Amino acid sequence: MQTRRNRLITATPSRREFVFGGGMGLGSIALSALFAEEQARAGVLSPKAQHIPAKAKNCIFLLMEGGPSHIDTFDPKPKLAEVHMTRFQKERSKFAAAMNTGERYYVRSPFQFQRAGKMGIEINSLYREFASVVDDVCFYRGLQAESVNHPTALYHLNTGNQFGGDPAVGAWTAYGLGTVNQNLPAFVVLPDVAYPQGGAANWSNGFLPPHYQGTPLRPEGTPILDMTPPPGVTVERQRANLDLLSKLNAAHGAKHKDHEDLAARMESYELAFRMQAEMPGVVDLSKESPKTLEMYGIGGKDRDMDALGRRCLLARKLVQSGVRFVQLIVMGWDSHDYIEKAHGARIQASDRPIAALIKDLKRTGLLDETLVVWSGEFGRSPDNGIRRGGQAWGRDHNAGAMATWLAGGGVKAGTIVGATDDVGGSAVESIHPIKDFHVTMLRLLGLDDNKLRYLHAGRQKQLSQTGGAVIRELLA
Amino acid sequence: MRTMRFAALLSVLTAFGAEPDRVFTETIRPSLEKNCYGCHGVGQVLANLDLRTREGLLKGGMKGPAVTLGNAASSLLYRAITGAGVLQMPPGGEDKKLPPEVIAAIKDWINAGAPWAVAQAETKWDSKPEDLWAFQPLRKPQAPAGRSAIDGFVNAKLAGKGLKAAPAADKRTLIRRVTFDLTGLPPTPDEIDSFLKDPRADAYARLVDRLLASPRYGERWGRHWLDVVRYADTNGYSNDFERPNAWRYRDYVIRSFNDDKPYDRFVREQIAGDEIDAKNPESIIATGFLRAGPWEHTGMSVEAVTRQMFLDDVTNAVGVTFLGLTVGCAKCHDHKFDPIPTKEYYQLQSIFATTEFARPELPFLPRENTADLASGKSYTNRLITETKNSQARYDDSVRALTMKKHGVSRVEDLPKGVLAAAIREKEGISPQEFEEFKLHQKHMQLYRESVDRYEPKAFAVSSGPADGFTDGGQNLRYAARKDYKIPEVHILPGGNIQSPGDKVGPGLLSLAARYSGFPLPEIPDTIAGRRAALANWIADARNPLTARVMVNRIWQYHFGRGLAADSNNFGKMGRKPSHAELIDWLASSFVESGWSVKSMHRLILLSDVYQRSSSLTSAAAKEKDPGNLLLSYFPPQRMSAEMLRDSVLAVAGELSLESGGPGVFPQINEDVARQPRHAMGSLQPAYHESPLKRERNRRTVYTFQQRSLVDPMVDVFNGPNLDVSCENRESSTVPTQAFSLFNGQFAHDMALAFAARLERETKDKRVQIRRAFELAYGRDPSSDVGPETRALADLMLVLLNSNEFVYVY
Repeated sequence: MQTRRNRLITATPSRREFVFGGGMGLGSIALSALFAEEQARAGVLSPKAQHIPAKAKNCIFLLMEGGPSHIDTFDPKPKLAEVHMTRFQKERSKFAAAMNTGERYYVRSPFQFQRAGKMGIEINSLYREFASVVDDVCFYRGLQAESVNHPTALYHLNTGNQFGGDPAVGAWTAYGLGTVNQNLPAFVVLPDVAYPQGGAANWSNGFLPPHYQGTPLRPEGTPILDMTPPPGVTVERQRANLDLLSKLNAAHGAKHKDHEDLAARMESYELAFRMQAEMPGVVDLSKESPKTLEMYGIGGKDRDMDALGRRCLLARKLVQSGVRFVQLIVMGWDSHDYIEKAHGARIQASDRPIAALIKDLKRTGLLDETLVVWSGEFGRSPDNGIRRGGQAWGRDHNAGAMATWLAGGGVKAGTIVGATDDVGGSAVESIHPIKDFHVTMLRLLGLDDNKLRYLHAGRQKQLSQTGGAVIRELLA
Repeated sequence: MRTMRFAALLSVLTAFGAEPDRVFTETIRPSLEKNCYGCHGVGQVLANLDLRTREGLLKGGMKGPAVTLGNAASSLLYRAITGAGVLQMPPGGEDKKLPPEVIAAIKDWINAGAPWAVAQAETKWDSKPEDLWAFQPLRKPQAPAGRSAIDGFVNAKLAGKGLKAAPAADKRTLIRRVTFDLTGLPPTPDEIDSFLKDPRADAYARLVDRLLASPRYGERWGRHWLDVVRYADTNGYSNDFERPNAWRYRDYVIRSFNDDKPYDRFVREQIAGDEIDAKNPESIIATGFLRAGPWEHTGMSVEAVTRQMFLDDVTNAVGVTFLGLTVGCAKCHDHKFDPIPTKEYYQLQSIFATTEFARPELPFLPRENTADLASGKSYTNRLITETKNSQARYDDSVRALTMKKHGVSRVEDLPKGVLAAAIREKEGISPQEFEEFKLHQKHMQLYRESVDRYEPKAFAVSSGPADGFTDGGQNLRYAARKDYKIPEVHILPGGNIQSPGDKVGPGLLSLAARYSGFPLPEIPDTIAGRRAALANWIADARNPLTARVMVNRIWQYHFGRGLAADSNNFGKMGRKPSHAELIDWLASSFVESGWSVKSMHRLILLSDVYQRSSSLTSAAAKEKDPGNLLLSYFPPQRMSAEMLRDSVLAVAGELSLESGGPGVFPQINEDVARQPRHAMGSLQPAYHESPLKRERNRRTVYTFQQRSLVDPMVDVFNGPNLDVSCENRESSTVPTQAFSLFNGQFAHDMALAFAARLERETKDKRVQIRRAFELAYGRDPSSDVGPETRALADLMLVLLNSNEFVYVY
């Protein structure tokens, strides 16, 4: 915290210098306007009190894109072994997707399962590391999505609105809680190699001011788009340009003393310059100890694990540096076929990094003030359609049942909440829709969905759209 | 005489308009219940006349409709209760006759359009008169004294607050303001010069006329409209397939503004051009409006859901765009704030029940830009061929593997059908190869959609299915016209398609009639004609909302803020107008002018209010009117994303002023261009810039609007959300804007081009800098910078980033 404050303080003289520098002093009116604007701008992102006292202040949302199978990860269904390959017919109807109809057959899980932790939950045996942290985790089997289509289901999970265009959970959180480090974005996204279906609308600020938009950090090169000038432009040359810019802006500002936006815009260039200076340090993993890198699976043979390890470690560093909400996306869970290979690879690549993230957050004391959420946009079906000659086993989309888990501050760790039926076709206990999950996430972050509203186009809007219920069983 | 009768009628309507629900619920309904329902509703329906519902009333019985909306005198019901016709009701002679006050109430009620207040509506919406301002009948108020009516209205409010208006802006500021406003581009130094030197009294009016006649005008103002109608060139969601002919709608919008097409016609064409004037190609292209929302159907979509998605989108779009009503809020439950019951939402939706997608053949118009279609088509076809050729190798592998598996060395020796099946299933190739195969398949699928953008087809609709229509890669089955049955529309409580409630027929929003006295017309329940009836109702001068909503939008784009600040929400929750009478005056003038948008521009631009300087007159102004809602000075505005990009191109001498045609692909951030993006089951191809500079450097309105990939520079400068109607642009300041304009490759390239342009024009450093200031700021450099400050390209980059460049005063 101390270092963060210092950075802001050391930044101040440079701003003064920029105001007075260049021999073009601003009038006192413009100067006070500048500070008023700065306060107003800081007001947009400055830390705000929680509505309800809660332990968690930050959130890391691990989004498993594609719809991981609950049946093959955290919710095994031995019954499927009995009915394996049993064929049946599902009528085509206008209420069912073409993909989920026609001739179907049940598919058993190709995976082995282990009992893990004191809680004794049965999970996929490939989760070697994650098995050691399950007692910090609350597994939830009652969640139901509403769409079986990736983009609409992703929009729903990320923004509360299947049809997109609304602010993401991270944007709402940043709006509700502000952020402690003004030199970094409040809401950071760590996408996988490819952007998810539906693209950047998944981390949109929607109708909220753009300060709350998710900023995707790129794994290589400059972390933020255009954060550094094109090759060949040195920092000195950039600074000289910036000084000339402030000189022109100051002269212009003197002629338009009443126009308050000018000062804010001048300040935004300085803020960008500070961000440019601070961000590389945050994303630099080279100073991490070999032990830490190894814990996250960084530098190993598995390239997927290495990449995900980097992003998990980065998530921890970002939260530590004062970023309010980090969304990390892991793609590749859409296993309609070859589920053993595809899910197996995903589980193996993500097992170590995600377990390390929990352990590391715990080690640094951050787990208590951080909410970690793991979820896909929906679950998968116990059955499959004939595809590629029928030899390839997999599962289709299932909005009725899915696997999610939560960890961190305020979460009822070491428990399983809810249940699905004996083949995993549908949730049967503690059933809640996505909006309740969102309300619960907000509640764990000390925010009341009914208070976290924004007046847009004449309507008070909120994440749950029309209000939802807190899933009490998930709370400690 | 005529005028007097009209005035009398108006006063009755207004009196009724004040509390129609109360009169209906307290007087009319109980009287009908007591005296009529015994025979016409409860238990029996004599003469087939059911008076329990408005529908029953309108449908009437054996003798025809019981009422003629808006005309009591010729209504059967009224004639029956007064004994003016053959029938005398209720039967039983004079003793049974309804009391005169009830008869009078029924008369007024029929004349007001027979609004049928539902009992629950009485308590549900506690609408105060100020919430209903937009539904009142439109009348032209008397303007207070002033140089123009607009000045009269605005200055009266200022005087009321004891505020002084700012003096007139100087001519240099004015030409910059109005040129940006009408064309989205800066005035050239020559244009500034000749305006400054024009001594004529009407020099400014001439300037306005010149700008309104410029083709650049439609490009700027068409873009405003495209914001409102959520225009894009792709479907959005998973595959984000191209809508290959949508660009023709974009150009139609631009043409309509340039032609000053009467707004009522513009409305009719977009809602029902195909029904109203099918022979006019513009009318067909116009219906692209109805399909502009994001929409996708894939193998994983539920058919009923995707159809409902379209219906909800189009219903809300019509409400928001033309009526300023957020009707979508009544989708799951009765509207919380405005008197719109869910039932009426679905009645409105039912108007679109027969609206089906169509892609008719429609030869290009002489005014459409077809110059690059042939070369564009061959380019896309080459992409398809190349991708297809690269697919052949997977078949080669499968062929080899299959022969090996069957132990044969010649294809002919394989058992019949084996190879075809193996190739179909890509048997034997590795999962890695299979992923590559899928990638290419996906690209080919996308290119095949795109290649249609060069074809003379329209992105349109039809009433009932258009025979032979298939929707590219969307896999939807369409009924043949002969087998077509009109789909039923049901109320969907909670918006849930799986538990439909009562069936409803097509209908309009009763609130619009209840307060305005403009009776709701009947909407036919036939296949065709539903949308035409809706369009005619919206585009009718008596519709209280249509003209108000549009003049408010026009005002908003001139001043940055509407007189009513929520231009898509004229209901209770929308901010109330700062100058309600001015809106009415403008709206009335709009209708009088024959719905001419350019006339409205002239009225507004020639007012003093528009020509004021943007400086505060006193500190008091700040206190008494902090948001400048009363317009004591002209509010400065930051350039929109498009204005900024176009202006950067313009001053750098790089802007290509070609109009129309399929969307172009400008230079965007390279990392974003190469960023892999998911498409269903695979990846989208990388973003490819248009090969030619004259295409890349076209105005931003002509750039391809891809829902899943927005130019990041447009995005950070508050570009519109392409999925929902954008009523007004934000102009917030965030550091990522500085990254984009100060560090981005495009800005650096343009700074270099700007410098090169100056070098070409003159070798004299001082003249170069003078010229740079004239181009970018429209003024001399005075003493701002000396010639030795920075390298020329650096100086140009700084100019393009400066506040003076990006703000318009």
